Order: sequence, then C-alpha cells, then structure tokens
Amino acid sequence: MSTVQAQPAPLVEEAPVSLWRDAWYRLKRNRLAIFGLGVIILLAFVALFGPYLTPYDFLSQDLEARNQAPSLAHLFGTDDLGRDVFSRVVYGTRTAFVVAVVVTAIALVIGTVLGAVAGFFGNPFDRVIMWLTDVTMSVPNLLLVVVINASLKTPIAQWMEARYLETLNPFYRETVWIDFLLVFGSMALISWPPYARLVRAQVLSIRSRPYITAAQALGLSNRIILMRYVIPNALGPLIVAVSAGLGTAMVLESAFSFLGVGVNPPTPSWGNMISDGLRVWQHYPHLLAAPAAVLGLASVAFSFLGDGLNDALNPRGSK
Amino acid sequence: MTGKNRLLDVRGLTVEIETRRGPAVIVDGIDLHVDKGETLGVVGESGCGKSLTMLSLMRLLPNKIRVAKGEAHFDGRDLQKMSNRELRKVRGGDIGFVFQDPVTSLNPVMRIGDQLAEPLIYHRGMNRKQARERAIELLRLVGIPGPEERIQAYPHELSGGMRQRVMIAIGLACEPKLLIADEPTTALDVTIQAQIVDLVKGLREKLGMSVVWITHDLALIAGLVDRVVVLYAGTVVEDAPVDALYASPRHPYTRGLLASIPKLSDAPASRLNSIGGTPPEPGRRPQGCPFAPRCPLAMDICRTHVPKLEPVSAAGSHRAACFAVEKALEAA
Ligand SMILES: Nc1ncnc2c1ncn2[C@@H]1O[C@H](COP(=O)(O)OP(=O)(O)OP(=O)(O)O)[C@@H](O)[C@H]1O
Ligand code: SF4
Ligand SMILES: [Mg+2]
Repeated sequence: MSTVQAQPAPLVEEAPVSLWRDAWYRLKRNRLAIFGLGVIILLAFVALFGPYLTPYDFLSQDLEARNQAPSLAHLFGTDDLGRDVFSRVVYGTRTAFVVAVVVTAIALVIGTVLGAVAGFFGNPFDRVIMWLTDVTMSVPNLLLVVVINASLKTPIAQWMEARYLETLNPFYRETVWIDFLLVFGSMALISWPPYARLVRAQVLSIRSRPYITAAQALGLSNRIILMRYVIPNALGPLIVAVSAGLGTAMVLESAFSFLGVGVNPPTPSWGNMISDGLRVWQHYPHLLAAPAAVLGLASVAFSFLGDGLNDALNPRGSK
Repeated sequence: MTGKNRLLDVRGLTVEIETRRGPAVIVDGIDLHVDKGETLGVVGESGCGKSLTMLSLMRLLPNKIRVAKGEAHFDGRDLQKMSNRELRKVRGGDIGFVFQDPVTSLNPVMRIGDQLAEPLIYHRGMNRKQARERAIELLRLVGIPGPEERIQAYPHELSGGMRQRVMIAIGLACEPKLLIADEPTTALDVTIQAQIVDLVKGLREKLGMSVVWITHDLALIAGLVDRVVVLYAGTVVEDAPVDALYASPRHPYTRGLLASIPKLSDAPASRLNSIGGTPPEPGRRPQGCPFAPRCPLAMDICRTHVPKLEPVSAAGSHRAACFAVEKALEAA
C-alpha cells in the first residue's frame, strides 16, 4: 500500500479546489508538460500583445531590404517583399491562436450539447446524433474544406463587393474576414464530432457508476452530485481533449492555409508563410525555417501538455 | 400489527424489470421487518434480489426497474410515498448504506475526507472544519490508522479493506437509525471479512442502531445477526431467529445453503449436499413454488400452488414457505 504524504492540514478546508490543486501538483512534476505549458503561455502572450510590440508592421515592405538573412535588425530576416519575417511570424501566431481558440470553442459547444443530449436522453436523439457524427467523421476533412471554400468564397466575396459599391462602407472591403469566417465555419464543422463522442461516453458511463448511486444514497442533492461527482469525473478527459484539440486546430489551420484554402496572404499565417518559403527554400531557408519551427514548437507543446494533463487529472493512474 | 419497536416494515414489496417481452417480476411480494436495535441477516444466492430489495426501499433502482406494488414503512412513514425532499433526509441521515463494491462505490476524484464530510454538511449542517473533525473521528472509529492523514487520501491510495472501512464510516457518518450493508465483505479476504464483521458488531452496540446485513454467506454472519431472512428468486422462503435457523432449518433451500457450508464435524460425503441447478431468471419463474425445479422434496402441489410464508414454531417467530415443512423436519 502506498504511503500517503502528510500535508498541511488547512488544505482540506478549501476542499472544492483540492482536486485541481492536486492535479496542478502532479502536473508541476512533469517536466515536458511544464515545458509545453511554458511555450503555450509564451505563444499566447505573443499572440495577444506581440503585434503591438514588433518593430515593424507585418505588411510594411522595404524593397531595399529584400530576402535578407537573419540579423539584429531583422531577427528572422526579411522576405521577397522586404517584410520583416519576425513580425509576420508574430502576427501568424495571433492568426493561429484566434483560429484555434474560436474553432475549438465552437466545436466544444456543439460537441458538448449534442453529446450530452445523446447520452442523457438516449434514443431517438442518440441514434440521430451518432449518425450525424459518423457521417461528419467519414467525410475527408480536406475535401470538405475545399468544397466549402470553392462554393462559398466567391459568392460571399461578390456579395461583399456589391454591398461596398452600394454603401461605400469600408467594412465591406475588408475581405480578410471572409477567410476567417470560412476557416472558423469549415474547421468547426469537422472538429466537433470527437467532443460529442467523448461527452456522450462520459455521461453514459458516469451516470451508471456505483458512486453516483452511493452519493444518492447519502441524500445529496442532484446539484451537488452534478458539481462534485459527475463533472469532476467527466472534466479530466474533456480538458485533455481540448488541449489536444487546440494543437490540432493550429496544425489544421496551417495546413489549410498552406494549401490556399485557409487564411490567405497578405494576412500572415504560419501555413501560408511555409507555403511561400517552400518555393525558395534552397536560396532563403530562413523563410521556411522560421514559421515551420514555430508551428512545430506549438504543436509539440500542446501534445506535451495534453499528455501531462491526462496523467495529472487522473489520480487513479498516478503512482 | 406494527409494534412501537418496529423500525422498518416492508409489506408485499414487488419489483419489476422492463423487458422486451413486458415487465418481469424480480422481487415478488416480499415481507420483512427490522426492529429497533435488531440485526437482520438477508441471505440468498447471487441474483435472488437482495440488492434490488434494499435499493428499492431507498428508491434508488436503476433504469427500467421499478417498484410495482408494496409499502415500506420506516419509523412509521411510507418511504415509497415520501416526497423527494423528505426522502433525501432519510437517505444518509436515518438510513446509512454500505455498498457491495468499495472500489467503484467511492468517488475516485474526491478525497475520502470530503466524501465523509459531504453528508455531515448536508444532514447535520456542519461547516467544513467541523465536518473534518468528525471525519477524522469516524475514520478512527472504523479502525483506520493515522486518520488525520488519511482524510487527505484518494480512494485508490487505500487497500480494499481500508476502502470498505471508509464506506462503512460514510454509512455511519450521520449515526443512522438503520445501517444497510450490502455484502460489505464480498470483495475482501477472509481475515479482513471477520474484522469488518467484528467492527460492525462493536459499532452497533456503541451506536444502538439496527442493521440489515446482506450476504450469501450464512456462516459469516452467524455471530452477528439476531434474525435471518432467506430469499429465493425474489421471495422470502424462511424467516427465523438465527439460532432456530441453524438448529432446525425448515425450508429445503435453507437446508441446502446450510449444508453447503463445510463444518469440521462433517463427514466428507455430506458436504456434497449442496443445491444443484440455478435460480430461475426473471421472467422465467415457475408457476408454483419457485424452488420446485431444484427441490429434492418437490410434490405435485408444489408445481401448481405457491406456498405461503407460515409460522412453523409455536411462538410464530419462525416462518417458512413450503408445503413439506413437516417432511423437511423429519428429513433433518
Ligand atoms: N441494472 C440491472 N439491469 C437488469 N437486471 C438487473 C439489474 N440489476 C439487477 N438485475 C437483475 O435482478 C436480479 C436481482 O439482482 P440483485 O442485484 O438484487 O441480486 P443480489 O441478490 O443482490 O445478487 P448478488 O449476490 O450477486 O449481489 C438478478 O437476476 C439480476 O440479473
Ligand atoms: S414447496 Fe415444494 S418445491 Fe417448494 S420448497 Fe417446499 S417442497 Fe420444495
Ligand atoms: Mg447484490
């Protein structure tokens, strides 16, 4: 039997947070997870404030200084239009985070609602929702995104153009938003099924666990049972899924932007920068290396954090 | 009918399960009672409805299983007719429950101190600090060493026997009038089983509560209970003071159960005298006596008529449901 470390007694008075406190304690001992968390916090900071702190605007061109190698003036060098690559990577970080957070949030809401309804109310909801999930998952992601782009982008752009000519409202000239709207929509559309499945499975299994009956036998209210028995047991896997989902969404955004069906130039995205860099990488490797390295770092960070959270939030699995 | 001394009085309790072919009876018109301060043993093979009977009292039945008929009076009030709010006060407050499996019946992500504190906060209106003090006391009461540290532990950090003690402590937390223990020792090894039995014996005296102890092991509870109810396929087949039951079991099923307990004095051959066959599945109950297909004494009447639970002793405290009570006595 394992020995239990004696801890300062007052801890128990803040009982509701003890699960999280313990999870944090276990997470702290996981070096890779802390590394991942550190990188994510840094990138999030860059995404939030970076664009205000960079020495150059991500769009400003300096045709005198094209394709320069990294230097003190330009940390990651400049591209073929003389734009500062560092500033563009920083702005690409914002793009990546905005897309990842928005897409994951939408997918999480859709998935949680559908999964909870399916798990809680059973058939016929369950059958319909699971069918929908299967259908969505069976359509190749890339195909779906390409189809959505091809079929919606031009009509929306034309409509915006028409509105602009009609109203002269500058809002309608800002075509960047079409990109984002399409990316949010199409990526959320393909990202919700795993959350739905997870939440459904969680609701189904936790609802019939003996400890729920045991809690009812103690006369505890449904609210307490939900807050302290069902949710904490369901939350661990969901948090892990969200952490992994954020990483996946970032990679996905880059992949789509790389293929020209995501965020398009001139708005910087790691994906479209990689795409540009790839064409000239033999001559100017830094144009490929900078965005690719940051994308790789972000992806690894989320996966380390996800693994660490998985261990930390599951006290049964830890030693 | 109901004396002042009666704590739990169950009459005609019938539990049904919904199947594709319509409702099937699992618990068939059970009568049982527990007096104040009394310890009742409920015995029967696996699947005979012991757990469902107790869960139905507390209205904790799983999906698709429901109480079709019957009353269950606790302290003079019908549990089946109570409002949910009243019922919640009884659950955990007046009736403590110890579940069969201590591994799955404790919340894995909650410290045991918190799990102990929860009912105290709800039923006794304690604050966290008071509940924590009481949790330590309770763990000490059930013989857990180092309770000040153990309240910080998660269930997985404790051994099976310790977890079962925690379950008992939770069941006892609010000093209930009745403790229902559903095979609380099945998952444990023999020495620990005996420790848990001794523990409950001591606590019962200390707290003056009534106990219902469910088991399929007649030998284990011999020294613990005052009276035994034998269940077979969802019916009470025998109800007797524990000594009378051991001395002169009247129902062939009880005799079979007792015979399957190895005794030192037994000749090796008599140990083979256990019951052949298996109990009927819900929905496939025979027409007459539910035990008839397995009964060595079965007669024609047994296959057409259901025997009633009737007194077989002068005092009326020993009852059995069998057409061949006299024969069974002779055979003994
Ligand atoms: N959730 C359920 N769904 C379907 N059938 C059930 C369920 N729970 C119990 N049953 C059935 O009801 C009958 C009685 O079950 P119960 O759990 O009361 O038996 P038990 O006497 O407690 O047995 P054990 O000693 O194995 O715990 C069994 O035939 C069982 O198959
Ligand atoms: S009533 Fe008949 S079948 Fe049932 S136990 Fe008695 S003798 Fe056996
Ligand atoms: Mg049982």
